[in-house]
Amino acid sequence: MSSEKKLSFFINESKSLTESNFEKNTRIAVIGSFTLNGLAETLQVKCAELKIFSHIFTGGYNQYNEEILNPKSNLYSFKPEICFLLLDTRTILGDLFFNPYDISNNDRKNFIETKFNELANLISYFSEQSQCKIIISNFVAPTYSPYGIVESKTEYGLQKMITDLNSKLLDKFKNNPLVFVFNFNGFVTNHGQNNIFDYRQYYLGDVRVSLEKIPHLANELMSYVKPILGKNRKCIVLDLDNTLWGGIIGEDGFNGIKLGHNDPIGKSYIEFQKHLLSLHKRGIILTVNSKNNFDDAMKVIREHPNMVLREENFACLKINWNDKVSNLREIAQEVNIGLDSMVFFDDDQMNRDFVISAIPEVLTVEMPKDPSQYVPTLLKLNDFNITKITEEDKSRGKMYVEQRKRTELQKSTNDFNEYLKKLDIKLSIKNANEFSIPRISQLTLKTNQFNLTTRRYQEEDILKFSSSDDKIVECVKVSDKFGDNGITGTYIIIKKNNEEWIIDTFLLSCRIIGRGIEDIMMNQIIEKAKTAGIKRIKGQFIPTEKNKPAENFYKDLGFKQEDGFWVFNTNDTIKKPEHIEMVKNE
Amino acid sequence: MSNKLYEILSQVFNVDISLINDQSSPETIESWDSFHGLALIDAIEMEFNIQFSISEITDIKNVDDIKKHLKNHSVEIDNGKKF
Repeated sequence: MSSEKKLSFFINESKSLTESNFEKNTRIAVIGSFTLNGLAETLQVKCAELKIFSHIFTGGYNQYNEEILNPKSNLYSFKPEICFLLLDTRTILGDLFFNPYDISNNDRKNFIETKFNELANLISYFSEQSQCKIIISNFVAPTYSPYGIVESKTEYGLQKMITDLNSKLLDKFKNNPLVFVFNFNGFVTNHGQNNIFDYRQYYLGDVRVSLEKIPHLANELMSYVKPILGKNRKCIVLDLDNTLWGGIIGEDGFNGIKLGHNDPIGKSYIEFQKHLLSLHKRGIILTVNSKNNFDDAMKVIREHPNMVLREENFACLKINWNDKVSNLREIAQEVNIGLDSMVFFDDDQMNRDFVISAIPEVLTVEMPKDPSQYVPTLLKLNDFNITKITEEDKSRGKMYVEQRKRTELQKSTNDFNEYLKKLDIKLSIKNANEFSIPRISQLTLKTNQFNLTTRRYQEEDILKFSSSDDKIVECVKVSDKFGDNGITGTYIIIKKNNEEWIIDTFLLSCRIIGRGIEDIMMNQIIEKAKTAGIKRIKGQFIPTEKNKPAENFYKDLGFKQEDGFWVFNTNDTIKKPEHIEMVKNE
Repeated sequence: MSNKLYEILSQVFNVDISLINDQSSPETIESWDSFHGLALIDAIEMEFNIQFSISEITDIKNVDDIKKHLKNHSVEIDNGKKF
C-alpha cells in the first residue's frame, strides 16, 4: 500500500497554510452522511503540494440534504468549485441494511428506485444551483448477508439492491460533464473492508472511513482535483535499462537482457510495458531518456520479440551519453510540453536525485527496487487523469510520433525549402460548420503563440459569427506525408462595408507554424476579398507575452501600417508559397 | 517511554510537549475533542502495536488512564521525568 502520512499530520499542516503564499486557489467542499473530519484538511494540504491554496468547507454531520436544499445554506455561500458528496450504504438502506428480507422483492426494488430518484434529484438540483463540479461516492456492496451463501439465489436481494443503485447512478450521470461518480466501492476493495471500517471508531464517533485511511481516501479524491485544476500530467519519460527491461543492454547484450515470458523478472517488465502502452493509446505521450549507445538500445526497441513498446509509440527518444536533466529539457522542448506535465521513471536513485534537485517540476517516481512492483507503482499514480476523453486524446500519441518523424526529416534535409517540399503539405480551408465549430472555439481558447489578436471565443460565439451575414469564419485542415494534423488554423473576418474587411481573428496551432501555412491562409482571404470586390483588408496585431512568433507576420506579407492597423490593398500581389497544395472544398 | 506518549499527544493535539502531563485531559487541552480523541487512540495503537477495546477507550479520561490501559497491554510507561 502506498505510504501516507498520518491524519493528524495533515490536520496540523493545514493550520499553517496561508492563502497569500499561493498564486492559484480553489474552493473544495466535503459533505456527506457520516463523520468526515480531517478529509477536507488533508485535501487542502495535498492541494498545497500542487502549489494551490484550497479554501475548504466541511459539511455539518449528516446535513447534506439540508445544505443542498436550502439556497441560503453555508454550502452555497461557500461557493465551492469542487464538492465531494460522500454517502454510505448504512445511511441509504437504513434498517434494510440489517433486515433486507423484511419486505418483498418488489418493495425492495421500489425502495431502491425511490432512493435513486431522491439522490438523482438532489444532485441535479445542486448542479443547477451552483457551477460546481460534483463528485458523489457510489455505495459499498455489503459482502455479508443474513442469507449467507443463498444470498446469490435471492430475487433482488441485499447485494443486488446496492449494485443496482450504483448502476443507476453511473447511467444517470454518464453524460453530465459536471458530475462524477466516485468508485468508493472500488476504493474499499483495494484497501480491504476491515481496514476501512473500524467498528470501534464507528460506534464511538460514527466514523465510517477509519482515521488511518482518510489520507488514502484523500489521495484517491485528488484524482478528480488534479485534472479539474489542470494539474494532471500528459507525458511519461522512461529510462531503459532496468526500467523497461531487466539488465543493461550495453553489458548483457541483446539476448542477455530480461524480457521474456518464461522468466518472472522478464514478465514484470513486459506487463509494465503493457500498462504504459494502454496509457499511450488514450493520449499519454511516451518518451525515452536513456544513457546508452543509440544503436544497441534501438535494436532492442525495434527487434526484440518480447518488446511491447515499439519505436512508433515514442514521441521522442533521447538515447545518448548526455546527462538526464539536459535530455529532459530537450524532450520538453521537442515535444513542446511543460516540465510540470512530465513523469519520470528511472531505476537509478542517483539519476532520480539529480532530476529532483535540478527540475523539481518533473514528477520523479520513487521506483521500488523490485521490478515486480513496477506495475503497482505505475497504477497507483493519479496524475494522468482527465475529465473527458476526446478523439484528439486517442490520436495524440500517434500525432506526436508523426511530429517526431517530421523533425527527423528536417534534420536530414539541408535545405529548409527542400524539407518543406518533401513534407507534401495539403491544406483544406472550409467554412465553419457544426463539426468544426467546437474545434474552432477550442483553438481560440488555447492558442497563444501564433495568434494575432488573442480573442477568446466560446462555441456559442463561433456559432453566432458563422451564421451572421457580416462575418466569415473559416478553418484550416492540414495534412502532410506523415499524417493528418486536423483542424489547426482559423480566421474570423468582419465584413465592415463594401470596401473593407477586418481580420478579427487569425491564428495557427503552434504545431504547424513555420511551414508557410499562414501565408496560404492570408492568400485565401485576399482571393475571397478580391472576388467580392473588396479593396482593403485590415488587421491588428495585439501583442501579448506569448505571441512574439506572429509579430512580423503582417509586415512580412507587405501590409502597411495605418492608424494602428495593418492594411493591404487587394490589388497588390502577395507572396504565395509554392510547396503547399490546396485541396478544394467538396 | 513517557516521552514517546507525550510526543504523540503533542503531535495529535498540536500543543507544546511542555504543556502535557499525566493529568492532561479534554478539559485542559483545547483540541482534545471526541474526534481528536479517536485520532489519539489511533496513533497510540500504531506506535505501540496494540489494540484497545471499546470499553478501554471510553474509560480514558486523561493521560493517566492511557498509561493504565497501556500497562494492561504490557506497555510500560515509566513515571520518570518528562524530558
